[in-house]
Amino acid sequence: MLPYSWLIPALPLLSFVLIVFFLIRSNKASSYTSIAAILGSLALSVAVLAEVLGNPQPQEFAINWIFMESFKLPMVMYIDPLTAVMVVMVSLVASLIQIYSLGYMHGDPRFARYYAYMSLFAFSMLGLVVAGSFFTMFIFWELVGLTSYLLIGFWFEKKIASDAGKKAFITTKIGDFGFLIGLLVMFFAAGTLNMAEIFDKVHHHEIALGTITAAGLLMFCGAIGKSAQFPLHVWLPDAMEGPTPVSALIHAATMVAAGVYLTARLMPLVITSHTMAMVVAIIGAFTALMAASIGLVQNDIKRVLAYSTISQLGYMILALGMGGYTAGTFHLMTHACFKALLFLGAGSVIHAVHTNDIQEMGGLGRKMKTTAATFFIASFSIAGIFPLSGFWSKDEIFAVAWEGGHYILLVVAVLAAFMTAFYMFRLCFMVFTGKPRDQEKYDHARESPKNMTIPLVILAFLSITVGWVGIPWLKHGYGSFVFFEHPHHVAPNYILMVISTIVALSGIYLAYLMYYKGSISPVKMAERFKRIYRVLFNKYYFDELYMATIIEPTYRLTEKLYKFDLGVIDWLVNFFGDFTVFLSWIQERFDTYVVDGAVNGLGYTIRAFGGGLRRIQTGQLQNYAFVIFLGLVVFILLRFL
Amino acid sequence: MTLYHYLILSAILFVIGMYGLLTRRNAVGVLMSIELMFNAANINFVAFSKFITPNEFIGQIFSIFVITIAAAEAAVGLAIVLLIYRNYKGIEVDNINFMKW
Amino acid sequence: MNLTLIIPEIFLFLWALLILFVDFFTAEEKKHRLGPLSLVGIVITVVLVVFSGQGQAFGEMFSADYYSLSFAIIFLGSAFLAICTSIDFARERIKHQGEYYALILLSTVGMMFLAASRELLSMYVSLELTTISLFVLSAYLKTDLKSSEAGLKYMILGAASSAILLYGISLLYGITGTTVLKGIQAELVGSAFPGPLLVISLVFIIAGFSFKLAAVPFHMWAPDVYEGAPTPITAYLSVASKGAGLAAMVRVFFGSLLPVTSEWIPLFMALATMTMVLGNIVAIRQSNIKRMLAYSSIAQVGYILVALSAASELATTSMILYLLVYMFANIGAFAVVIAFYNHSGTDEICEYAGLSRRSPFLAISLVIFFLSLVGIPPLAGFVGKYLLFLAAIQKGYYWLVGVAVLTSVISLFYYMNVVRQMYFRKPTKNDPVKVSWSLRLALVLSLIGVIAVGVYPDPFVSLISKAASVFVY
Repeated sequence: MLPYSWLIPALPLLSFVLIVFFLIRSNKASSYTSIAAILGSLALSVAVLAEVLGNPQPQEFAINWIFMESFKLPMVMYIDPLTAVMVVMVSLVASLIQIYSLGYMHGDPRFARYYAYMSLFAFSMLGLVVAGSFFTMFIFWELVGLTSYLLIGFWFEKKIASDAGKKAFITTKIGDFGFLIGLLVMFFAAGTLNMAEIFDKVHHHEIALGTITAAGLLMFCGAIGKSAQFPLHVWLPDAMEGPTPVSALIHAATMVAAGVYLTARLMPLVITSHTMAMVVAIIGAFTALMAASIGLVQNDIKRVLAYSTISQLGYMILALGMGGYTAGTFHLMTHACFKALLFLGAGSVIHAVHTNDIQEMGGLGRKMKTTAATFFIASFSIAGIFPLSGFWSKDEIFAVAWEGGHYILLVVAVLAAFMTAFYMFRLCFMVFTGKPRDQEKYDHARESPKNMTIPLVILAFLSITVGWVGIPWLKHGYGSFVFFEHPHHVAPNYILMVISTIVALSGIYLAYLMYYKGSISPVKMAERFKRIYRVLFNKYYFDELYMATIIEPTYRLTEKLYKFDLGVIDWLVNFFGDFTVFLSWIQERFDTYVVDGAVNGLGYTIRAFGGGLRRIQTGQLQNYAFVIFLGLVVFILLRFL
Repeated sequence: MTLYHYLILSAILFVIGMYGLLTRRNAVGVLMSIELMFNAANINFVAFSKFITPNEFIGQIFSIFVITIAAAEAAVGLAIVLLIYRNYKGIEVDNINFMKW
Repeated sequence: MNLTLIIPEIFLFLWALLILFVDFFTAEEKKHRLGPLSLVGIVITVVLVVFSGQGQAFGEMFSADYYSLSFAIIFLGSAFLAICTSIDFARERIKHQGEYYALILLSTVGMMFLAASRELLSMYVSLELTTISLFVLSAYLKTDLKSSEAGLKYMILGAASSAILLYGISLLYGITGTTVLKGIQAELVGSAFPGPLLVISLVFIIAGFSFKLAAVPFHMWAPDVYEGAPTPITAYLSVASKGAGLAAMVRVFFGSLLPVTSEWIPLFMALATMTMVLGNIVAIRQSNIKRMLAYSSIAQVGYILVALSAASELATTSMILYLLVYMFANIGAFAVVIAFYNHSGTDEICEYAGLSRRSPFLAISLVIFFLSLVGIPPLAGFVGKYLLFLAAIQKGYYWLVGVAVLTSVISLFYYMNVVRQMYFRKPTKNDPVKVSWSLRLALVLSLIGVIAVGVYPDPFVSLISKAASVFVY
């Protein structure tokens, strides 16, 4: 089975091609083709996972793209347990979300195109995961960025959506530029971009430590951009302008996880270079805390979830920076389930009330029972309540920090966990409980159709159970399958478990007091901590900061350059004025004969040439015969002269 | 009579055919000139067969095939010339230049 | 004697007769069904070709090997696609549909024999079978002035060039005393100094084949004939007839004339350069899309000649692969032209304005075929051109590859002109262009080919490289 893993990304590509060329007019055929393709990928992924479970050795497969005696050009796939887990995760979430989209996107004028993009995304993401060389990975990396751009700006009639698409594209591109330079550095240092070979060379200390740090950090820039880590996190909240299923798939569960995946792939470098490890861990920790604190006060349901995503990705990066390969990827997996569920739940709510503002919602739990129940499950999971998935994976990260002696990072992580619990339940209580704040919207609200709620239920089930594969008491759990170099068994740390549960519960309790019982008034709290509230509400002024420090100065610089240009040209014009008068008659002739010719340029010459050459074709049969005859004579003369 | 006599004869015949191809205005004349070129090749074949491979008849057989094919070609050629005559009311090849450039 | 080897050819020949026979008993309004009937025959022949085994028959005259197999598939494929594109065209505009299909099949039989023959006489006879059928086909629109003019030009110049080829062959026979390619090679290995007679004979043979390839300066017939002939026949001519010429030329030159490479490689290079430059430059100024495609197909042969100048195994491989790729892209492009012509009755490029709005499928297909002809990845044309140029680079012909790349860039110019018309001009009419099932089939098959070979070329390359190994370089 493994040598055929290329089929996993190939199926969605096939569906993309089919839709674009043949089915674009038929909504039904397009969506079914796309869903069938991704389900096929899912089946293959499960088969791959089963095989890798039997033999977890990393394996490399080369597909002969062109293979001759004299000339070879292979394409490499790299398959190890992490790849296997990732393909299953990606194709599973993608298939659920595509099914969900049947209901959510129903009636959209570009329904078929939506499914074409979704297929293209699935192709690029799965390709990224199975890629066996950093170069191939980079190609898919860019493709993923492209589809993300297309899908954020899917409703391009809204200016805010197309702007968000642009912002996402440009911001991540900054990171990608670092990635590309890192690739070049790595290529010059190692002489290859094949993952297995690079890891081998790093392992045998064939590359200087400085080079490893430099290349590693540059490549990590790509992860910072794609996974929306500080300081390139600003694009993700804006990206919520895309359709909600897109947010769930791309900007919560899979694409943003690509950065984490890349960091995990760079693990040999992280382990070798302590500088790199530290930078990675600190960026992760800071992002986790910062994003969680912003999430506390936002009022747009999707933006809260976006900040939550950034914060959770920070967790994963933090874990990887501390060397917690198992912990980071484990959290990646559980997070994909519950965050996709949260987004889809949010989508279901938005579908019902047609607004994103939680201040206009309330009491929806009575009308949307399935949505509410699954949303609560996901919230409990992300808050880290025993025994849901989030609990196990978050606990694993805490344990890594504890064992590694990174106590400051541990405190930061716990603090972020408290905030997470708080803002998630603030959301839950404000949306689903209490009195409706907007009676009209409440009256129109209705539970979403079956093809939307069934994926919710499946994801809810997964949000509860996926984490169980990593329960620390298990002998052959996740940790003995996906690991770096040697299995890492974290001993069950009861103190940490109790602490994290207490922290999560207190966050929930605070939210309960403020937004359910109302015994603490959120308004008064905001009054009392006015300064902090304002900073948080304005997202630490990052957008304004970038505007003021980068974008504005760039504008001003261009303006100055423009003025400088004007001045110089004026000066030149004045200076050469006299000169021109003096030499006017020469210039006139020069203009007519030389400049004109040069201006009209090569294209003109070629066209004229073509015009002349075609006159040979006189239409006279015997002229043609004469050219043949001439050809004969010239060729014979050529050989004898 | 040596081989060279035959070769020179065939060369002359070929050149006459070529000349006719380039200069005859009448399409049937052009076809006849092409026939001369075929026959030049035939002379070569037969002569080479006689002087180079006297024990085998490769050349003769070849020339018989060529004669047959030339007949087929002439048949199709005349049919097309007839078609031209119907459409253009004449078979002067230099009048037939509807398509050019 | 192993007669089973020629079963596919015999079968296809009988099928052509069957079509003529059925034609007698078919009412006029049902004759368009002969098209699908001939498609069935082609499909069966493909199966027969694949399973008929390999070996030699009639002494050295006929040899079924990987070389003839891959060419047979290309010929049958292009006949299949050409007939697909013919069905509506023939129903609307052609009398005597039975003979029309039968002649296409007969010329395909000729091509298959041509690719399989290893002896000059059988090669010559099959070449004539091919071209005489095509003479008739190109003049098939009996009342159309352009078509009969195309027929006359093609027939007279074709007959003259085959006389030239024949004269060259007769000299080659005189020099070596045999018409079997292997024997010729054996004779030539011994001879130290090739005399002037050999040079003349090589030039004549090259001229004769170059006519079939439409390589400059023996290309003059091509634009006129391509413009005048019925469009499906143009599509067929531009691929299969060229392919037949290449199959024979490579068989002769790589199969028997390798000992005297220094005599003909410079000529190949000269042909390649002139063909690429003239084909691409003149194409820019064309306003009729068929004529533009005619010049573009002249230019494409130039790229193939670049590789053939290398006279290596890679050269043969890349030549056959490129021919396959070119078959899909070129017949695909012609299928779009035919669909458009069937609907609107015009071939002028300016009439394509706004096609993207009238028929997005046709427009995007044409863009893809053009991009493949230019050689943009990940389409098949890229792989094809890459290998062609690689073959030349391996022999150090950098300047030749330089010209090829430069002219490829120029070619973007005229292809994109059509794309600009389709996408950035307002349509003059708004009715969608209807595409019938058979044209749709041809388009889809070509699209699949263009994409499949481009994305995953290895299975094709590995089969074709077996074909290339029939010669000893």
